[in-house]
Amino acid sequence: MHLLYFDPGLGMMIVQAVAAGVAGVLLFSKGVMYKIKGFFGMNKDEDDTYDSIDVDENEDGKDDKKQ
Amino acid sequence: MGKMTKNNKTHEASFRDPSGHMFYDDDTLRRRINPIYFKQYNALKDSGFFATLFKNELLIPHKENSVFENEIIITPEPIPFITNPYEWSFEQFKHAALHTLKLQKYALTKGFILKDASAYNITFHKGKPIFIDTLSFDFYEEDTPWRAYKQFITHFFGPLVLASYHGTEIFKMLQTHIDGIPVKLISSLLPGKTKLSSTIYTNIHLAAKMESKHSEDYKAETKIAKLSKKAQNNILDNLFNFIKKMSLKEETEWGNYYDKTNYNDAAFQGKKELIQDWVSNLKPQRLIDMGGNDGTFARTVLSQVPNVIVTDIDSNAVAYNYKQVQEHKETNMLPFVCDVLQPAPGIGFNNTERNSLIDRLATYAPDVTMALALIHHITLSGNVPFNKSAEFFSKFSTHLIIEFPTREDSWVESLLVRKREFINHFDFYNQTEFEQGYGQYFDLEKKVEVKGTKRILYLYKNKQNGIA
Repeated sequence: MHLLYFDPGLGMMIVQAVAAGVAGVLLFSKGVMYKIKGFFGMNKDEDDTYDSIDVDENEDGKDDKKQ
Repeated sequence: MGKMTKNNKTHEASFRDPSGHMFYDDDTLRRRINPIYFKQYNALKDSGFFATLFKNELLIPHKENSVFENEIIITPEPIPFITNPYEWSFEQFKHAALHTLKLQKYALTKGFILKDASAYNITFHKGKPIFIDTLSFDFYEEDTPWRAYKQFITHFFGPLVLASYHGTEIFKMLQTHIDGIPVKLISSLLPGKTKLSSTIYTNIHLAAKMESKHSEDYKAETKIAKLSKKAQNNILDNLFNFIKKMSLKEETEWGNYYDKTNYNDAAFQGKKELIQDWVSNLKPQRLIDMGGNDGTFARTVLSQVPNVIVTDIDSNAVAYNYKQVQEHKETNMLPFVCDVLQPAPGIGFNNTERNSLIDRLATYAPDVTMALALIHHITLSGNVPFNKSAEFFSKFSTHLIIEFPTREDSWVESLLVRKREFINHFDFYNQTEFEQGYGQYFDLEKKVEVKGTKRILYLYKNKQNGIA
């Protein structure tokens, strides 16, 4: 059970299906372009200092089998 | 503001979530967790979810103090100063948004979600964005859409897209919209060409339409569409990629300030040495440089002060400062945007949900306040009399290092000339009047002319001891 202590907005819940579909297409084409550009050595480094969306779990004590 | 009012008092910003609240135990800020949230809290703790977030510096670390049947008390690591979204530069805003998406994506992999994505759940600490609302996680229910999505759009994505077209002044709209800018308003403020961007179209324009269409579903009759975890990840990845690439095309007011001012190298060096000398004698724990541009002067004392804040009116200078913080991994420097003539007010319920800048500064209680090359802007651009600006600084400063550019200084000359026929109204801009005004609130300790300039550096001490 969720505690809906604020209104998530019904329209905003529904629109996510469309946003996800469009995002899927964009991510797929981005992946393709990345491979093509990579083949020609055209991938540029980004200058933004924030790292990636993925959490690096290798340093995580729980998941690290060596600890 | 005083300690008297703080004992065992609920934090004024902490009342919306029934899961628990923050409270002051004397001077220590702790969090009480209610039984309604015990299941979530224990799952988050036992699965190692919290531990991973602490390790990756994604969530503010906390220690568990006590576990009872009716409450669990935890104590989060103290954060010296909380900045609010309307005080961030574009880069800071961007990073806060990316941070939120990163947390939600990671939470999903572990069977949790971020139940809210309010921009106030992020602040800057040790040079980085950090999530501060420990109770914002809940269990993921298979195939449900992200229910904090609306908040993410109205708190983060919308304001960022607006700022990329209209400049960072847009962020100030969050002062009047504490729960984010309504998506309909965001949509109407964006140029028509943004409808051609499939990411902006779906997440803002279409979202606005859907909101209007379903706004009259009073009985909650419409079924909520299902959304697979994979689909939700696509939204998160796509928004992350989009936001990461965003940039600001704004000309800076002060960007090349140090290139175009009337400093020569020797004068710059002279002022730097004076400040280093005075600051090292005062041995401050906390220092704030108001109007400190990109932090150039504050950095000359950064190694000797454990906690440094630099504010500036120019969002670009703050962005440049933040960039340096990131690049040099500085953990004791906090830059944010502040217009001294219009400091951030107290907003939200009771006007206390988000504290005013002056309240937060009085609590922070800097040992040293620096105001270098600022007084002529306050006095001549803002028409603020000396005793009024002195009163402002006296509300939170113990020691004040203030630079007074005399009438012969080229910046002052230029500001005075621009007064045209009213120039005589500003005859009061002189050393004697300055010292009289500041003498009402401060005792003069030192006064030195900066060699090679037409500027005088003052060291003042607040007449009231223990101001906060």
